Amino acid sequence: MWHIAKREIYDNLNSLRFALTTVLLLGLMLINAIVHLQEHPVRMQKYHDAATESLNRLKSRTHLYQIAQEGPGYLYKKPSSLHFCADGGEDFLADNVYGGFYAWATDDLAGFWQLDYMPATLNRQNIRPDTIKIDWGFVIGYVLSLIAILFTFDSISGEREHGTLRLTLANSVPRHTVLIGKFLGALVSISVPFVLAILMNLLVISTASEVQLGTDAWSRLGIILFIAMLYLCLFLALGLLVSSRVRQSAASLVILLLMWVTFVVFMPSTLASIASGFSPSMTYDEFNERAIQLVSELKGEYDARLQDMDEHPAQKMAFAGEYVIKDVTERERLIHEYLTQQHAQIQLARSVTRVSPVVLVRHLLEVFAGTGFERHQQFVENVQRYAREYREFVTDMDRADPESPHIIGTYEGMSKKPIRPESIPTFEDTLSLGRDFNAAAIDLLLLTLFFVVFLSGAFLAFVGVEV
Amino acid sequence: MLTTLIRRELLDNLMTFRFAVAVLIMLLLVVANTAVLIKDYERRLEAYNTALKTEDRRSQELKTYSGGRLNVARPPNPLSIFNVGLDKRLGNEIWISHSFVPTLWDTGTYKLTNPLLNLFTSIDIVFMFEVVLSLIALIFAYDAITGERERGTLRLVVTHPVRRGQILLAKYISAMLCLLVPLLMSLLLAIILLTTSTVISLSTGDFLRIGGIILSSIVYLSVFSLIGMLISTVTRRTGTALMLAMFVWGFWVLVYPNAVLAAIAPPQTSQPRMVSAYEEIKQIWEAFDRERKQFLANDTFPGEDPDFGMVDADPNWIWGSSYEYFHKDSSTLRYDYHAVSYIDKLSEASKPQVPHAQDYYRFLGPQIVNAAERTWLVRKQALEAIFVQPAIVDRILLRGSPVGMYDAATQAWVGTDLRGLRDFFEAARRYRRALIDYYYDKNAFGAQQWFSADNGAVDWDSLPQFSFQRSDVAINAARAFPDICLLLIINLVLFIGIFLVFQRSEV
Repeated sequence: MWHIAKREIYDNLNSLRFALTTVLLLGLMLINAIVHLQEHPVRMQKYHDAATESLNRLKSRTHLYQIAQEGPGYLYKKPSSLHFCADGGEDFLADNVYGGFYAWATDDLAGFWQLDYMPATLNRQNIRPDTIKIDWGFVIGYVLSLIAILFTFDSISGEREHGTLRLTLANSVPRHTVLIGKFLGALVSISVPFVLAILMNLLVISTASEVQLGTDAWSRLGIILFIAMLYLCLFLALGLLVSSRVRQSAASLVILLLMWVTFVVFMPSTLASIASGFSPSMTYDEFNERAIQLVSELKGEYDARLQDMDEHPAQKMAFAGEYVIKDVTERERLIHEYLTQQHAQIQLARSVTRVSPVVLVRHLLEVFAGTGFERHQQFVENVQRYAREYREFVTDMDRADPESPHIIGTYEGMSKKPIRPESIPTFEDTLSLGRDFNAAAIDLLLLTLFFVVFLSGAFLAFVGVEV
Repeated sequence: MLTTLIRRELLDNLMTFRFAVAVLIMLLLVVANTAVLIKDYERRLEAYNTALKTEDRRSQELKTYSGGRLNVARPPNPLSIFNVGLDKRLGNEIWISHSFVPTLWDTGTYKLTNPLLNLFTSIDIVFMFEVVLSLIALIFAYDAITGERERGTLRLVVTHPVRRGQILLAKYISAMLCLLVPLLMSLLLAIILLTTSTVISLSTGDFLRIGGIILSSIVYLSVFSLIGMLISTVTRRTGTALMLAMFVWGFWVLVYPNAVLAAIAPPQTSQPRMVSAYEEIKQIWEAFDRERKQFLANDTFPGEDPDFGMVDADPNWIWGSSYEYFHKDSSTLRYDYHAVSYIDKLSEASKPQVPHAQDYYRFLGPQIVNAAERTWLVRKQALEAIFVQPAIVDRILLRGSPVGMYDAATQAWVGTDLRGLRDFFEAARRYRRALIDYYYDKNAFGAQQWFSADNGAVDWDSLPQFSFQRSDVAINAARAFPDICLLLIINLVLFIGIFLVFQRSEV
């Protein structure tokens, strides 16, 4: 088997396609590294400036009512240091959630803060042409799979055409050994330029002083490399499968390329658009109408209750506090419902497009690079957890003060003690590898499944073929 | 003789497995995609109609001339199904006011249902041709010569009294005819789908534009066909030819258009230019502000409050406030002054102030228009240099690949390129002129209705309606012409190259 693999490797290393592959991969990875080195410091700086400003504003508050009413302000998503692995369409995902107060206030009451998920501000002024970002996802998902096809489409049918396959099989080698040998040969000869390109890319990126990669980042990179290899194997197996079924190499190439186009071009976009139609989210107008209705309903209810009641100040205050809290909970529930529907729509589309291995690998790269939709959801969860913490902090502080009437929602009903700025909880956007593994498990399984199916298909096809 | 050759080639190509598969896949992709694109267009049209309705309702509420905003919206282009270009990406709503000249950089957008759906890139029909048909073109052409040479049939053909040029021509024509089948069939299906949609109505001009797209597609595919044939003539073996063809395709279609802009660092936005232009614009408005204050100081009315203490008769009237502000944005060079006033019913105490206010606004209106015009002169040039020039350079770089030329040509045909979209802003600027003329006509600046609705609300009906017509087909054609010419020149050069190589090659 090693003999066959070795022969394949020698064959490939001397060929035109090997040279072209090396040049192409090195060039793309170099571009990727340079762009990352240019963009990443800017992105980090922007994040730090914004996050510090928001934090300073939060720390400048000393009054508990102010803290409880105005909220934590803008909460920012931390950019990933592995942004060069997968861009993940970050331009279309908001990089912050606003935890600020709603603009209603009467003489003695004001609405409390809520989480507001604003859409990403798209750059409407940008008139430069659209391009796909050259990230690892592009290099692996598109270019590497194309190369894998070009290396394997003729590996069986070509030899059959030349008649050398007959020669090989005339020796006492089992067929599966031939197949595995060919597979390994192609794998090694693509891996060499690919790993070379990746190493060069990482070398350029890690030697620059502006970008630091920690241990966590390196282990993520290791996983990404593993995924890339699995993906490469998948397309090699597909190439061998088609190559052993089809008589002519030209026909085998046509089939493979058209499959590639379907996987790469058609499925991720068109199928996603079709799928997203099955789970429509509420429209903005509908949401807006419901929000207005909700606010006025609660206000009406409160006003009615006030009128029924005698002018007892303590009870009035209790009602006011109840009203404010109910108002903010209901509003937040509505916003959350809207957000959940939007996310569900995207989630469905993403699940359906999993039938394409290109999409699988993009998802996996996004998850492990800490970008994209999965990451965005994690960020939203972090924000929601922080919001709970923040509200608990307000209640705890209020409870700790024996002089306070403990009616949260009104100025008079809350503790007047000054709050130490250090004690206010701050937002920390974290990423956990364990959670990412959970998110990636299905994709990883599916990718392996594809590989196993294609490989066993290739095996069966090759065993059954007439030479 | 030529016809015999063509017939033979055609039969050879049409009867193959690859042809059947290619056509089938192409049709499937285009049909599924067109359906999605039509849905998407319908959604955008609906958003546009909602925006129009909202605007209509709002303009009913504008009771004074200065009382609010007058927006115009850009309708989605029905032909954006073919090549979306910038149609979806740029802002589609713009504020028309006498205080500034609207540009592409001052737009807003009407609301979309789920903004996260942008995560999924939508592909248009031209993109499919760009990627899939160019691939098919290469697959049809790569073995045209080498294949025959390997099989030995080329020798046979050459022994007949046929000129080599004729053989080439026959091969080229038959390959193109074979490509036309999936191209025309899929376009036909797309058009049928378009016409069945109730919201899209295509005019004669649109059909001419589609004709233009077909023409550009043919020229583009011919380039790839010829590249395939060139590779086929220079290489000895089919395998090498195929490999080379695939790498050429991968490079020109996949890598180059996406990598070139990242590889060649974009020219930095010229910061000094920006700062100096902004400074200049700032001075215009500061001079304006000085004059304004001067007027108020010289006025017989004491104090410098521009609403002259006028209040509404109803103390709870919340809209009764007048406000003024400078809109400043150094990143888009925007600097303008807005004075808005809307008083429903003047209180008795305010009535004596009305002549003062009228005097003031009569003076202010033309001043603002004048300052806005002067700002525009500075701003236009600066924006052109800072934003438009780099974008044009980008597009020139993209033309390093036939894909870039084809994309530019089709965008020009459907009117979703930069120039096509700037037509809209041209129309918006004309509409602003019309609004100002209307103000002068009605003597609006000096009228009481400028700030209060005492004498009844403003009658906006006599203001001409905004309408935006996409540019004429002839203009589209003229815009697409250079790129088509470029593609034709490449075709010619390639053909001559193939001819020369083939003439000298040994069989």
